[in-house]
Amino acid sequence: MGTKHRKKIAPTVAKQSTTATNTSQPRTQEKKTFTINTWVGMGIALIVTFFIVAISLYYLIERNSDVLWMAQEKEYFTSNALYLKQCMHQPGGFIGWVAAFLTQFFYHPKWGACIMVAIWVASMWMSKFAFKVKAAWMAILAIPVVCLLVSMVDNGYWVYYTKQTGFWFYGTVGYFMAILMMLFHSFFDRKRFGSIITTTLVAFTYPIGGWYTLLALAYISARNLAKSIRLAIEAHKHPHAKSDPMVVDDQPQYGSWYGKILMPLYPWLLILLVPLVCRRFYAGIRLEDAWILGFPAFENDLLVSQHPVVPFMFLAAIPLLFPFLPKGKDIKGFKAVLVCLVTIAMMVCSYMWVDKNEFKNYNYHAEIRMYKAAEEQDWDKVLDEMGGIPGDASREMVLLKNVALLNTGEIGNKMFHYNNMGEPPVNGFDTLNVHMVQTAAPLLYYYHGKTNFASRWCIENSVEFGYDFGNLKMLARCALVNGEMDVAKKYLNILKTSLFYDEWAEKLLPITDKPELIKEYHEFDAVRELRDHMGTVLDGDNGLCEMYLLNYFSNTMNKDDKLLQELTLDYALIQKDIQLFWPRFFLYAELHQGEAMPTHYQEAAYLYGHLEPQNVNISNMPFDKTVKERYEGFQQLSQSLLNSGMQTKDVGEAMKSSYGDTFYWFYFFCRDVHSY
Amino acid sequence: MKLKNIISILTLAAAIVACDHPTVPSDAQQESRLPHIYPDYTEVTIPFNICPLNFAVQEGADEVVAKFTYEGGEHTYGKKQKVMIDEKEWQDMLKAAKGKSIQVDVYAKVEGTWKAYKPFNIYVAEDSIDPYISYRVIQPSYVAYERLSINQRNLTNFEEREIYNNMSVSTESTGQCINCHSYKNYKTDNMLFHMRQGFGGTMIVADGKLNKVDLKTDQTISAGVYPAWHPTKQLIAFSTNKTGQSFHTKDLNKIEVQDTQSDLILYDVEKNEVSIISQMDNELEVFPTWSPDGKKLYFCSAHFEYQNDSIAKETEMIQRYTEVKYNLYSLDFDPETKKFSNLDTVYNAAAVDSIGKSVTLPRVSPDGRYILFAQAEFGCFHVWHADADIYMMDLKTKEVKPLDAINSPRSESYPSWSSNGRWIMVDTRRDDGNYTRPYIAYFDKKGKAHKAFIVPQEDPNFYTFFLRSFNRPEFMVEPVTIEAQEFARKAKEDPVKAKFAE
Repeated sequence: MGTKHRKKIAPTVAKQSTTATNTSQPRTQEKKTFTINTWVGMGIALIVTFFIVAISLYYLIERNSDVLWMAQEKEYFTSNALYLKQCMHQPGGFIGWVAAFLTQFFYHPKWGACIMVAIWVASMWMSKFAFKVKAAWMAILAIPVVCLLVSMVDNGYWVYYTKQTGFWFYGTVGYFMAILMMLFHSFFDRKRFGSIITTTLVAFTYPIGGWYTLLALAYISARNLAKSIRLAIEAHKHPHAKSDPMVVDDQPQYGSWYGKILMPLYPWLLILLVPLVCRRFYAGIRLEDAWILGFPAFENDLLVSQHPVVPFMFLAAIPLLFPFLPKGKDIKGFKAVLVCLVTIAMMVCSYMWVDKNEFKNYNYHAEIRMYKAAEEQDWDKVLDEMGGIPGDASREMVLLKNVALLNTGEIGNKMFHYNNMGEPPVNGFDTLNVHMVQTAAPLLYYYHGKTNFASRWCIENSVEFGYDFGNLKMLARCALVNGEMDVAKKYLNILKTSLFYDEWAEKLLPITDKPELIKEYHEFDAVRELRDHMGTVLDGDNGLCEMYLLNYFSNTMNKDDKLLQELTLDYALIQKDIQLFWPRFFLYAELHQGEAMPTHYQEAAYLYGHLEPQNVNISNMPFDKTVKERYEGFQQLSQSLLNSGMQTKDVGEAMKSSYGDTFYWFYFFCRDVHSY
Repeated sequence: MKLKNIISILTLAAAIVACDHPTVPSDAQQESRLPHIYPDYTEVTIPFNICPLNFAVQEGADEVVAKFTYEGGEHTYGKKQKVMIDEKEWQDMLKAAKGKSIQVDVYAKVEGTWKAYKPFNIYVAEDSIDPYISYRVIQPSYVAYERLSINQRNLTNFEEREIYNNMSVSTESTGQCINCHSYKNYKTDNMLFHMRQGFGGTMIVADGKLNKVDLKTDQTISAGVYPAWHPTKQLIAFSTNKTGQSFHTKDLNKIEVQDTQSDLILYDVEKNEVSIISQMDNELEVFPTWSPDGKKLYFCSAHFEYQNDSIAKETEMIQRYTEVKYNLYSLDFDPETKKFSNLDTVYNAAAVDSIGKSVTLPRVSPDGRYILFAQAEFGCFHVWHADADIYMMDLKTKEVKPLDAINSPRSESYPSWSSNGRWIMVDTRRDDGNYTRPYIAYFDKKGKAHKAFIVPQEDPNFYTFFLRSFNRPEFMVEPVTIEAQEFARKAKEDPVKAKFAE
């Protein structure tokens, strides 16, 4: 009945309105008015869409593909029903499950980015229909998507510390779901009680949608409120129509108390009550969290970081304005100009916001690239990355570089060819304390043959941040090297159900049935060699990976294995301890008879021989000519610079270009290294 | 017309049921060995009130069929590689086979050919099992903790629910570690568990009333740790411990958990009073447990003398960790006067063999005849010791023997008795060496333990994909009825400080 009336009456209103315009303004003036009609509006929307796609793909693929790869490495998904059940242990868990599934696609960052951007574009356009907004306002509709883009590029080291399942896709899937629910509501809200029924149905999705269900309810409320306000305004403009609300609005229920009060308030009532009721069914939910389950929290120990939350707050708030955007057929005059200005401003501001918030720290990105290369045992790539850094490296990078050199057999000749300073991780916006045990320690321990410690930190980190593909792979590797075949099989069987690590797992599974096969997998050779020749002691690293490695290896003597022995010598060099150096140096010489002594070991021997000649007589040692010459040159230059009044630090800087690749420089000028 | 409809519905229902019961292949090639199935339920003895023993056939098959034959009928099941048993039919089978056995014939279609494996039996005991167990669900963790829960599982079906989840109260810097759930006489109206760090205290349910208590006093080393409810009085014996952890660089045992100090205390629930049970010099007393009549307290203790004053006790303990050997002792107890007397060495494990052994976690059978414990070469935390096995002492003959039917080459620890004494549950890492799983074994009237089986799960692959351990599995005759939210509310309150009784 109501629909019939609408069809009859609506054109009448439009006609009246047009007539009024025609009589109040001359015809010639109307022609000159800048108008955004449907087609122009669509054009603007397409431009905005293209802009969003372009900026998103640029920032995701071109600038952050390394981060996206790490995102999937720190995520976990298995198709087993148990995982879904575990995800559903709290409201919003289903979004996490879907998000975790999609995050897997970041294994190929381009694929993952394209899927993500496709969902963003779909969300933008769906919101146009869900909120019944004109296409010309697409710039406004795109703001939540820009928020999501910012949330993808501003995390920095939080990539290692997020606890939310499917964190990287969570906002994307959640927002998409909220808009989908809005769309669903918009299909039925024309019916009497349609809004109430669909709103109630939306509330029922709280167990799967959590925070985003509540958000959808808030959007429904905003839309209902906007309709009521619009009705009131129309009624004020057309008092003669007051007696028949259907004349001024095509949805009669909005004219009554039911529409004015109940429909905007009802969603809020549900927002208040549904989490309270549902909380009874979940044992692990704090009362204060019941309304924000699914909203990301950036918490670690005592730190609660607010900065990365900002985009999510905007994401939640901005769509509340969508229902209030001007409606009507065409946008004319000043409003049309305003739309264009808003569109341009939005695009410019979006770019500026994304660019300003992007976590650009070079070492952060380089660490991830080096980690990935080391994981794949692409040692040349690790060294290329290290060679390309513009400033000082972080300690994680230094250690990865040393692992690469150890594996390429060049550590004795090239260890000091690279930066060894140790810039602490830059955290940008907040004070997150990055610890190596939570970033690369499992990988570093593993490549040092410390498989027990590698698996320990995988487990410790999984306790705090959840299991992920990275630590499952590492746990599988450690178990294989340790000969713990049953648990290796467990991890590999889990990885076999993943989208992109299935082949990796299947390749290694035969070892679990036939342990001797491991000898044919050369990727384990060096680790096995180090581990097999290492003794066992009872100790601990107190959460400091590098310090532990330094103390352990520099104090270890081993004559059974060349690789392990060289590692002990390298750490004695890094320790800058003369007493530790000499026995390891002589043992190296003994084990490598007939081979050329690597340059850095010669440099150390030559330097220590001069510093403490009473300990070891080096006069008969066959040092390379360049080693001696460079030592002399180093001494002369440093003395002259010091004599000229320069500070030690400045002398180091001045000599870096000519002697930065020597042990001499490392010994005297590589100071104040920050391990973490 | 009506009858027609009924017949149609019945036909449809029959067809659906028929689909659930696959046909046994007639042309199967006979194999002389048992099938590889997981969990391994071959030749196990089970209670007549347990949930279905679903299993997966690990023969690389495309399809499997399992025929369950029992006196009075047979059923077939098979769903790809899994054998998923209908719960109702299973109950009927158990009822019919009580005191007898069910024969299981497994068929697997491997590379297009059906194979028939040697059948195995599932023996159905005439003894029931306590319907509930509870355990802490935790990663096989080292130092860190985050999401922990104490769950209860109904053994007669697959229902599981959280008794308490630590995330319901606090996270991050105020996060809680929860542990050591314990019940009085298998009932839940008197129970407890500890919370450490954030909102710390011991949650004690006494006659159904929930309290939160701080058991640390100035005179004791720590708050209560390992608990044991007195069977008749409102008394709880606890150990108090100063515990540390260190890590093996290569040994696959991976972790050593050591007490540098420990004593025993008695907590009077009604008076909210703590008193000392044992505080001997150079003794590390731990793991108290009561005899069923409440007149004896058993506990473990290691004699350890620190020899080097120049280093910290923790450091010396780490250096000499293999020297720590726990023996089994008992003290007589008068429940009326609450006095302990007559310290007795029940089992001198340190004197066993030339290297000595170390016993932990003693549990006395409900009839008072036997005492179970975990034994390994050294130390007190046998869950991380691969050589740890379950041993049993006959208190009548003092004979100690390993329970070979229950033990495996990997760690077994935390034994417990069902309330009727016919079932033993142990925590074991036999599956993979890292993740602890609860296994149950029948203990017959002749004092013989039977082959242990893992607590069944609805999905046979559950344990493969479940990346957490089951910690301290305990039998219960009834579920915990206090809601998790109620525990959470109480947890936020300040604990009542226990008094020290001289």
